[in-house]
Amino acid sequence: MNQKGLIFDIKEFAVFDGPGIRQTVFFKGCPLRCNWCHNPEGLQNVPELMVSSASCIHCGKCTDVCVHESCTACGDCVNVCPLRLRRIAGTWMTSKELADSIHENSDYYEHCGGGVTFSGGEPLMQAEFLTEVLQLLPDVHKAMETSGFTDSRTFKTVISHLDYVLMDIKIFDNDLHMKYTGASNEMILQNAKILCAGDTPFVIRIPVIPGVNDNERNFRQTAEWIAGAKALEKIELLPYHKTAGAKYSSVGRAYEPLFDIDKEISISGRIFEEYNIRSSVL
Amino acid sequence: MTDRTKQMLAFFIRDKKHHSFRKQPADPYELAAGFSMENVPDADRAALRLQYVLDQEQPVIFAGERITLVRTVTTIPELFTGAELAALKETHWIHELGDISNICVDYTKLMDSGFDAKCDELTRYQDQYTGQGNEEAAHYLGLQINILHSVEALMERYRITALEQGNPIVAQTLARVPANAPQNLLEALQMFRILHFTLWCSRNYHNTIGRFDQYVYPYLKKDMDLGLYDYDSALELLEEFFITFNRDSDLYPGMQQGDNGQSMMLGGLNEDGSDSYNLLSELCMKASLEVSLIDPKINLRVHKNTPMDTYLLGTELTKQGLGFPQYCNDDVVIPGLINLGYEKKDAYNYTVAACWEFIIPGLAMDVVNIGALSFAKAVEDAVMEQLEQCATYKDFENCVRGAINRQLDQLSEQVKNLYIFPSPFLSLMMDDCAMKAKDASLGCKYNNYGFHGSGIATAADSMAAIKKYVFEEQSLDKKTLIDALKNDFEGSDELLGKLRYDAPKMGNNIDYVDEIAGGLLRDFALSLKGRTNERGGIFRAGTGSAMYFLWHARDIPATPDGRHKGEGLAANYSPSLFSRCKGPISIIKSFTKPDLRLTINGGPLTLELQDTVFRSKESMQKVAMLVKSFVDLGGHELQLNSVNRDTLIDAQKHPEYYHNLIVRVWGWSGYFVELDKEYQDHIIQRMELVV
Repeated sequence: MNQKGLIFDIKEFAVFDGPGIRQTVFFKGCPLRCNWCHNPEGLQNVPELMVSSASCIHCGKCTDVCVHESCTACGDCVNVCPLRLRRIAGTWMTSKELADSIHENSDYYEHCGGGVTFSGGEPLMQAEFLTEVLQLLPDVHKAMETSGFTDSRTFKTVISHLDYVLMDIKIFDNDLHMKYTGASNEMILQNAKILCAGDTPFVIRIPVIPGVNDNERNFRQTAEWIAGAKALEKIELLPYHKTAGAKYSSVGRAYEPLFDIDKEISISGRIFEEYNIRSSVL
Repeated sequence: MTDRTKQMLAFFIRDKKHHSFRKQPADPYELAAGFSMENVPDADRAALRLQYVLDQEQPVIFAGERITLVRTVTTIPELFTGAELAALKETHWIHELGDISNICVDYTKLMDSGFDAKCDELTRYQDQYTGQGNEEAAHYLGLQINILHSVEALMERYRITALEQGNPIVAQTLARVPANAPQNLLEALQMFRILHFTLWCSRNYHNTIGRFDQYVYPYLKKDMDLGLYDYDSALELLEEFFITFNRDSDLYPGMQQGDNGQSMMLGGLNEDGSDSYNLLSELCMKASLEVSLIDPKINLRVHKNTPMDTYLLGTELTKQGLGFPQYCNDDVVIPGLINLGYEKKDAYNYTVAACWEFIIPGLAMDVVNIGALSFAKAVEDAVMEQLEQCATYKDFENCVRGAINRQLDQLSEQVKNLYIFPSPFLSLMMDDCAMKAKDASLGCKYNNYGFHGSGIATAADSMAAIKKYVFEEQSLDKKTLIDALKNDFEGSDELLGKLRYDAPKMGNNIDYVDEIAGGLLRDFALSLKGRTNERGGIFRAGTGSAMYFLWHARDIPATPDGRHKGEGLAANYSPSLFSRCKGPISIIKSFTKPDLRLTINGGPLTLELQDTVFRSKESMQKVAMLVKSFVDLGGHELQLNSVNRDTLIDAQKHPEYYHNLIVRVWGWSGYFVELDKEYQDHIIQRMELVV
């Protein structure tokens, strides 16, 4: 019980991350590199400096204090910024520290029909730590937002501690999945089958990316794959929004998607109806 | 919404076509000059002025309308000449414009009897007073009778015009009201319109509507039982009624357009524990939702047993982005009022004055906004004058308490010799005023004064920073702090950053600072306890700020929470403008910790929620739960905003004030001010598309 995990945010009043009002814990580090990722600070599994430059007054205090050739996320510049525009994304926490932090308000969330959701990044990338945390929260409703990218054994272990799962099937076609996320979807699809065979209520999410996966074939293949699952609540479609790139400059990276962000998105819930699957657009 | 309602909205709200009937502005001092020359007594002036306005009014009836009456007179004349008013101000405390404002009359006092019966009643009292040789009282009652006759005369001109224009519905309604008591819903609404219109013509302002769903419900019920209306047709009529509140509102006095106090209270606990929320309450919420106008402003009385459906309907209304309903928690407000000495049955009948001050209809001549304590100034005074002599934090706390006491000594002293201008018409709707031939401006059953308390978060955050850095960590020298404040942190960047961003802030559910805030509010209430005003009333402590958050900010230098000189204080009962809170739940938890029954003059916590949390039915339910949690945790008053484009544009210009503004972008939430400008622009653009 002494695992440490890297957390980059804990958000209050999450209303789209599972039943009731929830707090959402963001795990830092992700095995995928989705073209449309809106949480660039969640990708790397090390602490990173984030700078929001919109209201920077260019006083130079941050550069004066810096002694490194390239950023090591040492944090020396954070507190010298007079406007506190810099922060280190990523805090190492023990499982107990995180569980205690969740418990601080867990009564409130329970009262509002909710609980905690683990998101990221990819929480399964820190599966051992996550499992420890989950075991420390027996009285809390626990959900996970995941890409499902892990081996089946790990996946089974983690979901056995969960009350609710929100999992992405981003693109059904493996080649396209490789192209746009940098990884194969084989494990993901197998893990989706594990959810389908189990009792844990789950939602399948599809980020709808213009010209990439917003076609009938993709929707139909995905629906077929999960149709008939007794614990499947619904499919949620998350239309791509151009603001996905908003935070890239703050972590010193460029946002360079391989698809046309101006293209219109095509969505139809009709296909899912054919498979008796409820769908909604978020 | 029916086509009829849509046409009315286009006519009155979009095109403002009724404005073309308005008269040119007149010299506001013309009447007063004559009054002054002839030495006319003040109550006579008030009556004559009102009659003058009513006599000048010319009927304008719009095609197809069922509820009539519109202002064509744009200038309500002054009662006093400039010199007279200046002289009055030398010897008296004149509150705002001087007229009775910001209270809630009991409309049923005229609605239930009709004007004819009321005139008969007044005549009887008049005879009694004449018999007793009390000519002054008899004369005063005569003024009231004259006013009622002038209103009747105006409405008779309207009735004839309606006949001429072929509007039998208006003609028929006016054949009954205001002379007789209304017999049905339409007559009741027309009667209310006449009473409210006349109040505005009396230059009474912030004329609140009160518990409309209670006093008009019997008419609705009767008509529905008779089959005269169904749900939809009653809703349509109410919508027409709601539009009337927006016809003349640009002519009403107020700090800002929309600051006119047309507040309507819905629902509320009865003494037996049942809820008075009824079909009319629901229809009012629906009407407001459909017409989506800033008037009337909807207030909702809730309590621990209020059903989720009511919160859901309220949330739908919040989604419109108008900033209401405002929620008032009966479980806190009623005991708070009883503690202050309000009779139980009156406390259960509370409503809000113009904005959020709790008041009893028809019984309270409370002046709920007579002054304001500046919490921030109290802390500032203690720092500048006494901090260096304080050995412990406890000592410092005592100094702040002393500074609060001194401010309240001064405030309660300065509001002596209050003179409120008489209003014989308004007095007809206040308890016993007719029988006693006593103008309400002289007092009624309750004559309490309310003080706002501005800058609570700035004060609590400042004290927390001092407690932590000066006394506990001893990392900050008293003199260094005082010098930095005097120099507005010039050359003290590091200290400024620490105080401004690293110190504990109210709104993060941190007991350390929240308990300080609770202590300040308690000190405020305790300091007022036992004080009485010259009218025999008490002083009430509140959490509101009104415009004082601006005025008080100008009075003080930099503060120990890292606030610069000249920077604003938060409005009402809210976190400081630059403290970055963890989220709405921490804010709610922080702001419900103090015992708010003690500061029941009123003043809401304001929460800004991004409009996307209102996106789905499911997420709306969660917003409703958030509101309910505020009530369950013992909050007193809550206002929510669905953040809209204007806020975002302002946030772009002044990012320093919008650190808590969260925008949901695409399946994720972020701080708006942290986004690059092009993305900010993008979100603003998206707001333009929100319907």
